[in-house]
Amino acid sequence: MSTVKIEAYATALFEIAQADGTLALVEDELFRVARAFESNEQLRNTLSDATIPADRRQQVAEQLLGAKASNTTTQLVSLVVGSGQVRDLPAIVDSLVKRASSEKQQEVAEVRSAVALSDDQKTRLTAALTKVTGKPVNLKVVIDPSVLGGLVAVVGDEVIDDTVRTRLDQLKTRI
Amino acid sequence: MIAQLVGLLASEDPNVTHHWLFPETAEIIYGGLSSVVVIGGLIKLAGPMAKKAMNGRTAKIQKQLDDAANALTTSSTEAVGIRAALGDIAGERARMLAEADTQAAALLADGRARIATEVAELEAKAALDLNAARGRSSDELRAEIAMLASIATPIVVQATLNDQTKNELIESFISSVGAGR
Repeated sequence: MSTVKIEAYATALFEIAQADGTLALVEDELFRVARAFESNEQLRNTLSDATIPADRRQQVAEQLLGAKASNTTTQLVSLVVGSGQVRDLPAIVDSLVKRASSEKQQEVAEVRSAVALSDDQKTRLTAALTKVTGKPVNLKVVIDPSVLGGLVAVVGDEVIDDTVRTRLDQLKTRI
Repeated sequence: MIAQLVGLLASEDPNVTHHWLFPETAEIIYGGLSSVVVIGGLIKLAGPMAKKAMNGRTAKIQKQLDDAANALTTSSTEAVGIRAALGDIAGERARMLAEADTQAAALLADGRARIATEVAELEAKAALDLNAARGRSSDELRAEIAMLASIATPIVVQATLNDQTKNELIESFISSVGAGR
């Protein structure tokens, strides 16, 4: 899909969520859905399989998200699945998150962790990243067991990596 | 005279001799004369022929003697030549043997030198190969250790990373970022 189309979808989703008054929640949920979609090949293949009727794929998406996400998020994902643009879901969501952050004068900070962060940790991490980047950040936490331990934060072009995985890789290189 | 001679002959008994050894005088005279005549005739008639034959024979014998002398001279010359050739052959043989000995000695010396060089080269190569093999083994061992370590380390680390440790790592990250790294 072209950048223009991605931007158009992102704008549409953004405006729906904003109109619904659930932008912060929807943005956060969509971000997690996008990351799950990226890391799960089976889910990706199923939702983008053109041989499966669109309404069936939408049903699958709704069933998957039904209990875990808000109704708006589920509907928006279903909309993208039904339009046949699900392969670009991560790009659409990233664009949406960036736009939402811009609206709030924030920089998106994508943080990967092996375990979930508590609200207190999120708050302190947001404050720390804001301090180090000099800009307010919109924290997005991705649970990624492959990092093993520690955190890696990507804010714009800056990467702050203190994960066990990276340390092991460095150790492996040194060996 | 003839009458005397006939008378003499008639008075003589032909079956009886005057002496058991010597002939009758007349026989001696006539025989002697006859012999002189015959011999004279022979000398006169056959002498030149005999002389010629003897001269021819002498010449032939002389020729044969000369030929023999020439043959002897030739033979002697040839003998000298053969002896000289024999001497040359012996000299050549000696020269060739000496040359062969020299060449053999040179070959031997060359062979020894070459073998010594080859042995030295082989020893040097073997030493290099040995060092390379040592280095290789060492490198292979290091690579093996590194590979095993790279496999084992994440497993060990993952096994030791409990929730508390993970939480401590997160806290450490937040603190270090908050402190401005």
